[in-house]
Amino acid sequence: MRPARYILFFAMMLFSGSCITEFIPETNENADMLVVEGLITNKAGNNTVKLSKALSLSSKTTGTPYTRCSVIITDDLGNMTPLYEKSNGLYVTDSAFAGVVGREYKLTIRTNNSGASNYTYESVPVKMVPVPPVDTIYYEKQQYNPGSDAFIREGCQVWFDSHDPDNKCHFYRWDYSETWMFQLPYYVPNNICWISANSNVINIKNASILTENRITGYPLIFISPESDRLSIKYSLLLNQYSISEDEFEYWEKLKTITDEVGSLYDVTPSFIPGNVTCIEDPTQDVLGYFSVSAVSSKRMYISGRFRGLAYLYSQCPSDTVNDLNAVADLNWKRWVIESDELVVPPIYILTRIKGCADCTVRGTKDKPLWWDDSK
Amino acid sequence: MRSKFCIMVITLCLCCRLAAQEKYTVTWEFKAQSFREFVTKAESLLPVKFYYKEDWIADLKLSDCPGCTTVPSVLTSLFNGTSLHFFIDNSGHIVITRDFAVKRPDVVNEDVKLYIPTAYFAESGGEQQKTENMFVEIGNKVDRNRPGNVSVSGYVTNSDTHEKIGGATVSVPKLSKGTISNEYGFYSITLPRGTYEVQFSFVGMKEKKINLNLFGTGEMNVDMKGMLIPLKETFISAEKNTTLQRFEAGAEKINLSSFRLTPTSLGEPDLMKNILLISGVQSAGEGSAGFNVRGGSADQNLILIDGAPLYNTSHFFGFFSAVNSDIIRDVTLYKGGIPARYGGRISSVLDIVTIEGNPNKFSGSAGISPITTRLMVEGPIIKDTLSYVLAARTTYSNWIFGLIKNPDIRESRALFYDMNGSLTWNPDKKNKFELSAYHSYDNSRFNSDAVYGYMNATALLKWQHFFTSRFISNFSINNSFYKYNVTDREVETEEYFRSHRLNSTELLADFNLFRGNNNFNFGLDMTMYSVLPGSYRPASPTSSVVSHSIENERALETALYLEDKITLTDYLSVNAGMRVSSFLSFGPQTVYMYDPEIPRSGSSIYDTLYYRRGAISGKYAGLEPRLSLNFRLSGTSSLKINYNRTRQYIHLLTNSMSISPTDTWKLSGYYLKPQIGDQFAAGLYKFMFDKKLEASAEIYYKTIRNMIDYKGGTTLTFIENIEQETIDVRGKSYGLELGLKETEGKVRYSLSYTFARTFIRSTGKSGGEMINSGNWYPANYDKPNDLVVTYNYLFSRRLSFSAAYTYSTGRPITYPVATYRIRDNLVVQYSERNKYRIPDYSRLDVSCKISGNLKSKRAAHPDLTFSVYNLLGRDNVYSVYFKRDQEIIKGYKLSIFGRPIPTVTFNFNF
Repeated sequence: MRPARYILFFAMMLFSGSCITEFIPETNENADMLVVEGLITNKAGNNTVKLSKALSLSSKTTGTPYTRCSVIITDDLGNMTPLYEKSNGLYVTDSAFAGVVGREYKLTIRTNNSGASNYTYESVPVKMVPVPPVDTIYYEKQQYNPGSDAFIREGCQVWFDSHDPDNKCHFYRWDYSETWMFQLPYYVPNNICWISANSNVINIKNASILTENRITGYPLIFISPESDRLSIKYSLLLNQYSISEDEFEYWEKLKTITDEVGSLYDVTPSFIPGNVTCIEDPTQDVLGYFSVSAVSSKRMYISGRFRGLAYLYSQCPSDTVNDLNAVADLNWKRWVIESDELVVPPIYILTRIKGCADCTVRGTKDKPLWWDDSK
Repeated sequence: MRSKFCIMVITLCLCCRLAAQEKYTVTWEFKAQSFREFVTKAESLLPVKFYYKEDWIADLKLSDCPGCTTVPSVLTSLFNGTSLHFFIDNSGHIVITRDFAVKRPDVVNEDVKLYIPTAYFAESGGEQQKTENMFVEIGNKVDRNRPGNVSVSGYVTNSDTHEKIGGATVSVPKLSKGTISNEYGFYSITLPRGTYEVQFSFVGMKEKKINLNLFGTGEMNVDMKGMLIPLKETFISAEKNTTLQRFEAGAEKINLSSFRLTPTSLGEPDLMKNILLISGVQSAGEGSAGFNVRGGSADQNLILIDGAPLYNTSHFFGFFSAVNSDIIRDVTLYKGGIPARYGGRISSVLDIVTIEGNPNKFSGSAGISPITTRLMVEGPIIKDTLSYVLAARTTYSNWIFGLIKNPDIRESRALFYDMNGSLTWNPDKKNKFELSAYHSYDNSRFNSDAVYGYMNATALLKWQHFFTSRFISNFSINNSFYKYNVTDREVETEEYFRSHRLNSTELLADFNLFRGNNNFNFGLDMTMYSVLPGSYRPASPTSSVVSHSIENERALETALYLEDKITLTDYLSVNAGMRVSSFLSFGPQTVYMYDPEIPRSGSSIYDTLYYRRGAISGKYAGLEPRLSLNFRLSGTSSLKINYNRTRQYIHLLTNSMSISPTDTWKLSGYYLKPQIGDQFAAGLYKFMFDKKLEASAEIYYKTIRNMIDYKGGTTLTFIENIEQETIDVRGKSYGLELGLKETEGKVRYSLSYTFARTFIRSTGKSGGEMINSGNWYPANYDKPNDLVVTYNYLFSRRLSFSAAYTYSTGRPITYPVATYRIRDNLVVQYSERNKYRIPDYSRLDVSCKISGNLKSKRAAHPDLTFSVYNLLGRDNVYSVYFKRDQEIIKGYKLSIFGRPIPTVTFNFNF
């Protein structure tokens, strides 16, 4: 925990007159900045550069893609790899392309706006550092206090261990992708689905400060029983990336200004420059980073309700009605999820949530190809 | 008992004589003895020895003298009506003089003759109670018609504590002339021969008026009496004359009496909060550590406790001052016109002088509030020679945590304490030795995961030597130590202990020389610094953290200074000074060389320089001119103009709105240049309505070079190569400070309004090295409008009421303006630095003080203070922060003192 939060905490303890009010900062700023999200790895088929524009704080839409740019990756031998726009703003390499450990790569972007001024953006060259495999991923039941009441609950904490015997990878970044199978509590046609989610927290580590290049018990994710992740079967794919010291610092700063900012003792927030700059106009703020990383991945499964973990997921409350006609406003907002028309009067079980009537609202009926039923 | 308080003792040190008289009891029948017989008898029976000229006493015969039981009384009676005088020293030497009286021989200058008729002493018991003024003659009457000016000088002493009073005003209303005593209590004023009324005044002391018949150069030492309960006496009047006579525009003496009346949030008088009431002084927010003077950052204030620098001035992250108010004797803040003897920080000097132990009797005080308790005792070890002061303060706030049900909080602890101690030894009139020490400690534990601890310690030894009363030397050595520790046990395998240490040792040789209209102050100031920027080590045997330290920094700062305060004419005085400072940083040091074409980072290093032990890795030197002009426009108004340059070689690395206890100090070196500040200021001061109302207007313009800011998101807790993270910035600030004060009578008020702006501009060229595209932006503490109103009503000698109202523009803040996703992480993009502002701040505090019985014979004098902080309950925003709540960035306003906070404090003096 950072000192800033202690200070706030102690201050609030001492002065019972303290109070917190929520507000939306009113700003009216142009957020039209280029966001570069580039990742070149040593694995083929997964090398993309995503270009978009930042969103103003009030807007609820997803990022506006930056289309029709020419995007090229150049290595230190002078080999040029053009990327093509697979979908709006998503530029990908040829599926056969894979980065090589030890090589340096540079990203060049040229915008192609008709009418408006166009710019060239370039990254600094980044070297691909080798990465060791992840050793183990393990999990355990853990108690926690959700804070809202005094009840202690149980969830599942996932950790992993990793080490680099060659001590070549000093800076790590991790992300993960969760996939879980879930079943609706009703006998509807689309009853069993798979759902996926990507990590959305920054996980980085500087191993150069450790006696041995060994990461032990890195807390990856805590799965609370309030989600349906552990209801049937859960899988997690952990990606371990080698990053440069510069990239480590970039993520660290990003983390610093994203988690909680603005209070008296917090780091002064400001623009965090990445490694991409505008050639024609160096004062332009370019957001994002062009990462060049070796990657190693490991998958784990948690089956069933993990050691009798309580299951508190209750997103599908239902109404029971004896006569459909009795529900005056029966319309598209309600779905009949079960009916027993043999009894008189017939019983219908309804829900307002479409996701409870059809699992494909949240997930997909297609079992992922890699899904291993035996584990 | 009370009448004795009113008697002013001039030079001859009445108490010594009274003590001596008791020893020399005349036991024989002396009637009709010749003086020589009396002498022979006395010398044989008593430990005395007489010195005189035979022809003076040839005809003297002792007559009957009822009630004369001691040698002095016999002599007094005998010499009455003659031109003879006598003097008895501590060793029993009795010196007879003709035509002039002798004061203590060890302080008499050859050219100084003090002429005091014996009659004066005979009258002093009865007469002086009736008339306030006393008559003093200086010099030899025969000189009365000689042309030219003569000077009067001497020491102003507090008769209760025997401490010298610095900053006392000496004024001669008839000539509209005046001066103020220096920090040794010494004053010197040049006047034409004649008869004058001389007034001596000082904050919290009863004003003294002396009718002076001035015939020649001489000395006049003055004892002033403090007021137990400061009431309708003219105790504030000292300030107003001081305002006119001080050379510096921008020097503020804190009024300790009103400071103790100021309402507080936490139930005890607090120095730093009072400093914030001074116009031109601001802070990042209530309860934040540090203060900003005229647009300077918080580390640009030199805070001295008895001359030793203090590197952390607060307890509990800024909610309490680190200095216990009980031991403060005198506080001066120099916002501008900083005298040449001070250096090392560019914005201001806060000079805190602690009390010296009472050499006569034991006394003390104690206080209790809901959060802290404090105790102070003082007294003699050897009466009149060696005395001590001890003071301590601590918190017992942990009970608050115990009341909370949440186990995390119940496990938390916060502790702080501070202690002061000093010994003062006056072996004789020419020498004075002081040994003092200060220690403060803070420790806060959150749950069992993390502990923050920090401490300050200073020790000081000072020798003051009077070569003559006009040439004083002051040698001192002090050591100041500051450190903090953080223990973090959040991750079990990586538990660590991090610390930062700073140690400075300062040698100071300071000389004061008074010659005619000149007051020279010169000296040598050397400081040796040793800084451990940071060290990491495992906090448990199972931790895998590697012990690691950032290279120590060592440096020597040396300064020579010379300053002269000259009274050129009655209407113009000048204070011209020069300080030459140099700074050398020493190896062992590793310095990386960077490609100058691209921003400094780990990847732009192209070479490494190693400086071996003792090698000079960085050197800087420069001149610091200081100039103040004081034009006395009339007896009630003056205009002051000054310029000063200051250089600063030690910097606090801070990257947040307010300084935090985990900020570290860093010395100038290969990359980090000294900060240089230049300030021009002018002030106009005017008294109106028979000096009852004081009006002032000051303007200033200030520039600061070589300041540093940091690249976005840099955390400064453990940073190896700071030059990779810094951005060069420069600052400018300007302002207008208007003040109005009514300081006499039952109702007193003050009103001060400040308009001030402070801007910063980055000087780097590339995107990451620029803030707001290299344009000027408001500093964190830029609050353009600031209004402070205070009001005191003294109902009676036992009941007083005070109120204080503060308004200021909200400080600037950087808002989040946009979001974007990178690898599914929601990231925030911010507005230009400090583009927005938090809401304006406004607060009204009131307090009421009830004093106990005023009889001075009572063993203890209790008083109770009731105060209400933020009486209007305004929800002032302490802090605005932003948090990511799932996929939305939310803003939160936190008010700490969001409703009226009443407190009761109980104090007593004994």
